[in-house]
Amino acid sequence: MVDNYLTYTRGIKSWIFTLDHKRIGVMYMVSVLVSFLVGGTFAILLRTELLTPGKTIVGADMYNQFFTLHGAIMVFLVIIPSIPAALGNFVLPIMLGAKDVAFPRLNLFSYWLWIAGAICAVVSLLMGGFDTGWTFYTPYSTTTETGGVIAVVTGVFILGFSSIFTGMNFIVTIHKLRPPGMTWFRMPLFLWSIYATAMIQVLATPVLAITLLLLIIERTLNIGVFNPSMGGDPVLFQHFFWFYSHPAVYIMILPAMGIISDVIAVHSHRHIFGYTFIAFSSIAIAVFSFLVWGHHMFTSGQSPLMNTIFSLITFSVSIPSAIKVFNWLATLYKGSISLNTAMLYGLSFIFLFTIGGLTGLHLGTLNTDIHLHDTYFVVAHFHYVMMGSALIAMIAGLHHWWPKMTGRMYSEFWGRIGCLLVFIGFNVTFFTQFMLGSQGMPRRYYDYLPEYQVYHVISTIGSYVMALGFVLTAVYLLASIMFGRRAPANPWGGRSLEWQCTSPPPHDNFKTTPRVGNCYDFSAVVWDEKQQGYVVDRSLDPTLNEPADKA
Amino acid sequence: MNRVIAPAMFLFCGASAAFASGGNTPRTFWMPEGASTIAPSIDHVFDMINWVCYFFFALVVIIMFWFMWKYRQRGRIVDAQGPTHNMALELTWTIIPIFIVAAMFFVGFKGFLNIVTPPENSYEIDVVAQKWAWEFKYPNGATSEDLYVPAGQPVKLIMSSRDVLHSLYIKDFRVKQDVIPGRYSYLWFQANEPTLNDDFHWLFCTEYCGFGHSNMNRKVYVLPEDDFAEWVVEQGQWLDKILDEDLYFKAGPKLFVRCVQCHSLDGTPGIGPSWGDHAGQGNIWERTVSGETVFDDGTKLSSLIGPGKAYETPEDYLRTSMLNPGKHLVQGYGNAMAVQALNDRAVDALIGMMKRIDEFDANGKWLKESELVDQEQQ
Repeated sequence: MVDNYLTYTRGIKSWIFTLDHKRIGVMYMVSVLVSFLVGGTFAILLRTELLTPGKTIVGADMYNQFFTLHGAIMVFLVIIPSIPAALGNFVLPIMLGAKDVAFPRLNLFSYWLWIAGAICAVVSLLMGGFDTGWTFYTPYSTTTETGGVIAVVTGVFILGFSSIFTGMNFIVTIHKLRPPGMTWFRMPLFLWSIYATAMIQVLATPVLAITLLLLIIERTLNIGVFNPSMGGDPVLFQHFFWFYSHPAVYIMILPAMGIISDVIAVHSHRHIFGYTFIAFSSIAIAVFSFLVWGHHMFTSGQSPLMNTIFSLITFSVSIPSAIKVFNWLATLYKGSISLNTAMLYGLSFIFLFTIGGLTGLHLGTLNTDIHLHDTYFVVAHFHYVMMGSALIAMIAGLHHWWPKMTGRMYSEFWGRIGCLLVFIGFNVTFFTQFMLGSQGMPRRYYDYLPEYQVYHVISTIGSYVMALGFVLTAVYLLASIMFGRRAPANPWGGRSLEWQCTSPPPHDNFKTTPRVGNCYDFSAVVWDEKQQGYVVDRSLDPTLNEPADKA
Repeated sequence: MNRVIAPAMFLFCGASAAFASGGNTPRTFWMPEGASTIAPSIDHVFDMINWVCYFFFALVVIIMFWFMWKYRQRGRIVDAQGPTHNMALELTWTIIPIFIVAAMFFVGFKGFLNIVTPPENSYEIDVVAQKWAWEFKYPNGATSEDLYVPAGQPVKLIMSSRDVLHSLYIKDFRVKQDVIPGRYSYLWFQANEPTLNDDFHWLFCTEYCGFGHSNMNRKVYVLPEDDFAEWVVEQGQWLDKILDEDLYFKAGPKLFVRCVQCHSLDGTPGIGPSWGDHAGQGNIWERTVSGETVFDDGTKLSSLIGPGKAYETPEDYLRTSMLNPGKHLVQGYGNAMAVQALNDRAVDALIGMMKRIDEFDANGKWLKESELVDQEQQ
């Protein structure tokens, strides 16, 4: 058997101290998926509690802890690291044609920082948990009597540094480790989006760190920064918090868009449509993302002039997002679309992101937002974007690169069934919540008026269907590791560099510096019956045979 | 134009709710009943955005499914030759959305100016929010737990919070504004249709504020202008009209409504110590008189009551506990209670209730009601 990164060295130490970006990526992936299981369990508990008004299974204080934990785990431990840190770590250097990231030790350090942050969250549970909501709004968060607030805030602070280090690492890697021929505009779009994401991570996350530090200082030393009874300003906290947390939304969605660009092109077997527009729209989104945080605060008491300015800039973010959707659609045109599981998740993304994006219009518009703010309409909207888009794209990427990561093929049949269950369950769960919200049901409510119950019941049933889909997905993916067919180097017909090394890749990714072609030009990719996979026929792409410096 | 669009939307959406009385817009598939002067314009913008969404959603999804079907993979075609870019097309789908969202911003902005500009002749009501109750104060000094407003007149709420962030939301009026400790925020609305026959609009708290957040909802009654004027005068005097000896059972239970979220009457532990038996020290009056209550610094109440000490009499301690609750905290309880705005008669009523706690059931209902009726009949 050919030596690969999984068999290169053995033993638990070879994982704990590994500097291999692929192993770090796998460790991130396992950690993120375990967190997803925990966060998802809280989601199911929440939905079950909401089956009836008043008490169904737990009391109000427990419910408040559940939704706080669900939000905090899903945002800080799952979605933010899922694509950049887990998939990005595995794929980015190979896609780029590099042997590793620029700073492998920093990479390992950022993984263990992530673990340290996660441990803080667990410690906070042992100290009595926290019921602040994932947003930690002051003065509630500095006065609540639940004991775990400082521990979890410290955890998020540490996770922030993990995120910053990963971002820095990727920026330097993309700048410095591109092999000859890999020009900026030859990079797969996933790399553009990871690059834009890394920029936000490096620039925005320090603000979160400062904010959380101030919160800790206020809670422990009673120095009034945010609490008005000590001379502070609670609205200031919201400005600080959203100055990070709005860009954080794009930390979650930009890499998702990158995955979708590549998944759609590869599984349609045709050149991505409008490469330049997609690449620059990622950068545009990254820039705009810093200027729209105030749209979370239209009812907070900030001045009407600020509301107006933030509403205006918010609408400008919709343009690059719309451009991407239209470009993906145009990529399907005249393609040769294979409806593999990864592609089905990719198409689900387009469907769900369209709904998530369009309902953002109701919320960006000033007068309708006054009615909808802090209702289930907002909950539905951001779940369509955060889960329906970011997380679904992560799962699309997981299926797309699963053969590369594990060297095994999963069952396409069960994959498609799982995707269908998740897609239907998701829509039943969250589309209902749009009606719930526009009818006036506030979010974070333990108890509610009987008139809302029918929506809650439908939504809860949907969440069970979705959970079933995810359990099924976990089962067939794990089964594939044991029983799956060995994966060829290139099962989907991709052209970017990761498909040119074996599955799983060798320890050093490439034996020789790879020749870089146009990663969206599929004319040289041919089906090879013997390998049951695709190969790149060098004779069909003349640029590959040119000397590297000319390419 | 709204008269045409609203019923058309209603039919289109197939909503089942009955038409509300008079000028209010009925509940639709998307929106609750509209009962303020700004509601129709907000619903109108909401519908407009909806139609834009329906159009683009249909466009994207139909094209997607059409291409999925038409260009599905047949055999092992590896390289499908499609166009890689088209500048004219890409500029088109960049520029058209710009105009659409610009229009959307503008109508939203225009509507927003109405929402944030209260008319000058607005009737002003002060609002104090705290975990987990609202207090509404009217210009004549009257206060209420539910909100009463005059019909046909703009009403301005001037709001502040005693503890954490809250947010006042009346869905049928389409108004919402955060209520912040340490500063004042305001919102205004005008409801033209009175609420008849015990009907009302819900008022919600929409900024998460802890344990009782989802029960921090109250009712909004819109009264005809004359009825409102009468009500507010009546409300301002209700405590004064009660005889001193009747205070504890007539005013006590009414005032206790603001305490019940945290204090039980039957010894059940809550956010605050129960008014019933607490830690075997007897009910609130018994343990105050005996001085058995222990504070968080370990001192006993008995060492604080007496001539020349912190409290002259047991009543003084109870009074301070309501008006300055943080001064001495019972062991095991945090400083969670808000300062209560109670006048002397209200304090008397509550202390009276504490002294005769056995006369009330667990819900604060006075058990001797029937005796009183008997006496009156004799």
